[in-house]
Amino acid sequence: MNKLPKMPRLARRDRKRPVVQPQPEYKRFDLLQRSEHILFLLSFTLLALTGLPQKFPLSPISDWIFGMLGGVETARAIHHLSAIAMIIMSTVHILEVPYRLIVFRTPITMIPWLDDVRHVWDDILYYLGFRKHKAYYGRYSYAEKMEYLSLIWGTVVMAITGFMMWNPITTLKFLPGEAIPAAKAAHGGEALLAVLAIIIWHFYHVHIKMFNKSMFTGYMSREEMHHEHPAELAAIDEGKKVAPKIPLKTLTLRRLMYLPFAGVTLAAAGFALFYLVDYENTAINYAPPGETAKVFAPLPTQTPLPTQAVPTPAALTWTSFVGPLLQQKCTVCHGVNGVAGLNLTTYSDAMKGATTGPVIVSNDAANSLLYQIQSAGGHPGQLQANELEFIKQWIDAGAPEN
Amino acid sequence: MIRIHPFIKIAGLATLLLILGVSIHPVKAAPTSQVPTAQKALINPDDSACLACHQNPNFNITIGIQQKETLSLFVDPSKFQHSVHGEIGISCIGCHEGFKPEAGHGMVYGSHRELTLRMNTICANCHQKQSDQEKDSVHAAARAAGKLEAAICTDCHTAHEVQRLKDPKTGQLFPTTRIWIPLTCQKCHSTIYEKYRNSVHGIALTDGNNPDVPTCIDCHGVHIIEDPTTAKFRLDSPMLCAKCHTNPAIMDKYGISTQVLNTYVADFHGTTVTIFEKLSPDSVTNKPVCYDCHGVHDITNVNDPQKGLTIKQNLLKKCQRCHPNANTNFPDAWLSHYIPSPQKYPIVYYINLFYTFFIPGILLPMAVLVLMDFGRAMVNKFTKPHSKKKIFYHTSDGEDHHE
Repeated sequence: MNKLPKMPRLARRDRKRPVVQPQPEYKRFDLLQRSEHILFLLSFTLLALTGLPQKFPLSPISDWIFGMLGGVETARAIHHLSAIAMIIMSTVHILEVPYRLIVFRTPITMIPWLDDVRHVWDDILYYLGFRKHKAYYGRYSYAEKMEYLSLIWGTVVMAITGFMMWNPITTLKFLPGEAIPAAKAAHGGEALLAVLAIIIWHFYHVHIKMFNKSMFTGYMSREEMHHEHPAELAAIDEGKKVAPKIPLKTLTLRRLMYLPFAGVTLAAAGFALFYLVDYENTAINYAPPGETAKVFAPLPTQTPLPTQAVPTPAALTWTSFVGPLLQQKCTVCHGVNGVAGLNLTTYSDAMKGATTGPVIVSNDAANSLLYQIQSAGGHPGQLQANELEFIKQWIDAGAPEN
Repeated sequence: MIRIHPFIKIAGLATLLLILGVSIHPVKAAPTSQVPTAQKALINPDDSACLACHQNPNFNITIGIQQKETLSLFVDPSKFQHSVHGEIGISCIGCHEGFKPEAGHGMVYGSHRELTLRMNTICANCHQKQSDQEKDSVHAAARAAGKLEAAICTDCHTAHEVQRLKDPKTGQLFPTTRIWIPLTCQKCHSTIYEKYRNSVHGIALTDGNNPDVPTCIDCHGVHIIEDPTTAKFRLDSPMLCAKCHTNPAIMDKYGISTQVLNTYVADFHGTTVTIFEKLSPDSVTNKPVCYDCHGVHDITNVNDPQKGLTIKQNLLKKCQRCHPNANTNFPDAWLSHYIPSPQKYPIVYYINLFYTFFIPGILLPMAVLVLMDFGRAMVNKFTKPHSKKKIFYHTSDGEDHHE
């Protein structure tokens, strides 16, 4: 399409609506409207990009998106920031529309009416071949009106449910607990609807059917107008769209009427935003402790040793006590031909001692080698403490055989 | 110069090669996991020489630097014969390699534990797989960090009374084995055992030998016991619980929902944990996993009046750990693993129902209109190739089509 010269700068009040001009371009959107669109487009895209993966966390596409964004926490932060941007944009729009209506008395052209129902019907007839041409759309077609209404409905639902999920503790001061999962259900359903509607409806009408650049350039050619808004073009051609001149006095008066509304809206929006950004500390950074019990707590009887207590012998003699004890504990090494020549199998051999001399000195346990070695500990076949004590008593009692 | 006869040369070379071959030949037979071919050679029916000393119940020595540690050298022959190794006839020296026939048998050690740790490597001769797995376990890591008391093979399996734990026919654990498992872990983890013993799982196992409930190893693994305090374990843990809790074959008997994982993943906390687990399994998150609310080892029945989570006040206490300002409405923001229905959480149910119809209710007419518009444009394009151009010229003339 050729780049055609833009209209000359008009007086402020005339910028709001298209005026019949000899130039072949027709103004559709002013700078404010175009800026709102871009801001809305960006925030919407970011919200969808960071929100849908949260709705479908098991999808591999979600993995990829979270991976690109650096994790779900970052995605949530972007989601929250985009939501704030969208709310700011919506506030601007809430301020803008009444200004046009109150101050300029701009006709309401965005609200669907009976004409639009007829247009849908006419279009269906046209698609089926019962009509030669499409319905004659006015300033906004039913497709555009539908989208605008959906957007308002969607934004309101998303803002309210989003606030509820963002600030559940505050919300639940006034509502039952179920409100939060309910908000989540609505938020998710509405998100899906909005994104799919944008793809099916918006993309088709302004990107596929024809690339409608007027939302970025602000203007439409006569040819495009003829295709998209023939009734509007006709009205312009007939001179019906020339805005009446408003005296400055009237304008000032209307502006004064508008002022309280703007003040209240701004205050409310500012208040809401201030709280929304970081109103509620929903969760503290509590670290769940996991298992708190002491991990290594061995049972006292972890490695039980066979320490049978030796009962007090009936008689402290070789035959009844010492002989069997030494037989059990010592004769493995100190048997016949025992280590160091010591044989502890019989009383006489035991009293004979080792090659180096006797190991049992009657009446003198302290000087008996057997007692000395066993007292030092660490001997293979170590006697237990009370066993050794009985041996000591036996030696000190003269080491009787019977 | 002396000429060496070629025969001597060859004989010398052959001898050298033989010596070399013998010396580089691995001392141990190649490890096989279960097949007892390697052990066959170890079977020596005559353990009597060893038992001459070691069957004496009072065969103790004192060891250690200060000679304060008493070490029993007693081996109960009857118990060994009834062990899995005794049954297949492995002899003492089958395991006690490097045995020297002198007092002390050439063993050098500073403490009982040092001796056990040193002997522990012997198990790997036949049980290489299990030994390798254990090397990656939290116990091996603890030992590497100097905590020598951390469990080794014999601490759980014993040295001479090793029992058969699996039914060789089915490969499944014997029912008695399952009861032994917590008692075995209890030896070192007595406080955790107490918690488990009184949990819904522990009671069912100990008092009823219920085959459906988990023992320690069902969550912590065998041999390759993972460190349960890591961020990764935490993030993986819901799947651990889900192993049984999504299995209708186990859960239906007890009337427990198998939707617990789905419903958890679908909610705020579970979504975050799932995404973390998939994308950054080592990152720390305080978003709750199953055990933060249901208990780690002291898992209670949800209807328990003291701790059960169906009692709102009990659940609120769990919520308030992270959400200190939560009021009594707050626990209901979590759907308690229920799938919304007209009876349970009807508002959520009806909102979902609304969108089930609202979304296609809006999108289908849109799609139909779009498709018809597109279809018509295509029809126009191919049937009346010049019609578009005509209209264009028409328009440029300024002629108005408005009715």
